[in-house]
Amino acid sequence: MYRGREGQWAFYLHRISGVAVLLFLMLHVLEMSSSMFGPEWFNALLAFERNPVFGLGLVLVAALVLYHALNGLRIILMDFTSWGVRYQRQLWYGVWVLYVLIGFPMFFTMLGYVFGGGE
Amino acid sequence: MAWRARRYEEAKRLAASNLELAWWIFMRVSGVLLVFLVLGHLYTRAVLLDFHRDLDYDYMVRVMNSATWKFYNWLLLFLSVLHGTNGLRYIIDDHIASGRARAWVKVVVYTIVFLVTAFGTLALWGWNYQPVE
Ligand code: HEM
Repeated sequence: MYRGREGQWAFYLHRISGVAVLLFLMLHVLEMSSSMFGPEWFNALLAFERNPVFGLGLVLVAALVLYHALNGLRIILMDFTSWGVRYQRQLWYGVWVLYVLIGFPMFFTMLGYVFGGGE
Repeated sequence: MAWRARRYEEAKRLAASNLELAWWIFMRVSGVLLVFLVLGHLYTRAVLLDFHRDLDYDYMVRVMNSATWKFYNWLLLFLSVLHGTNGLRYIIDDHIASGRARAWVKVVVYTIVFLVTAFGTLALWGWNYQPVE
């Protein structure tokens, strides 16, 4: 099925984004759950992460998971509808239209938080 | 798991067992649910929340004292852990040829995922968060 051209790209991007997001999920659960250690520890950890390197990392993870989510829906449509496979390429372009519509406002807002110091 | 079915009928025909077919279906059902949970999480925690200024221990205490958010986060955690780990299992089966190495990688991956998930579950359901005075 995933032969050549768009399908091949879609497949590898889906894999890479899936594994990257799982790795982030593990770190993110550890990070947030460590609030159990109390306010001194947790606020210090958040202060340590409050810089553009971690901030951009967060935007990157958001970008990957949004692709994975939209392309995942495309896979599901191809699997369960009678027309999905026939319109596979159109669906692939649809993924990117939705990606821009949802993603750009989201990434832009996040970048504002990362780089918009002060009130 | 060398097969990669692209239609339900195909998945049904190719699945080595009912369990594999169940995982195939689970990947899709959890995927649909995760679209809403993940986008909702991103919207509330990365768009509405200025995470580089307003995220702190007090914010965490508020979330952890809301039964609704705890349930939301627990569902998000469990579905993404099961979905992500099963996805990684497909990838391990596809890329590691040696049976011994494959088994070891799986043991290590499942152990790490289990411990992290247990830690997250403890934080969600087994901890009392007091606001700082
Ligand atoms: C947000 C909504 C999501 C949707 C709609 C979605 C959908 C899908 C679908 C349809 C598959 C293909 C399964 C198969 O080949 O049988 C898949 C694979 C995968 N997903 Fe997701 N997923 C989502 C979120 C996530 C999250 C949060 C993670 C990580 C924690 C993740 C990690 C993976 C991995 C590692 C794979 C395996 C990739 C492969 O076999 O090539 N997914 N996803």
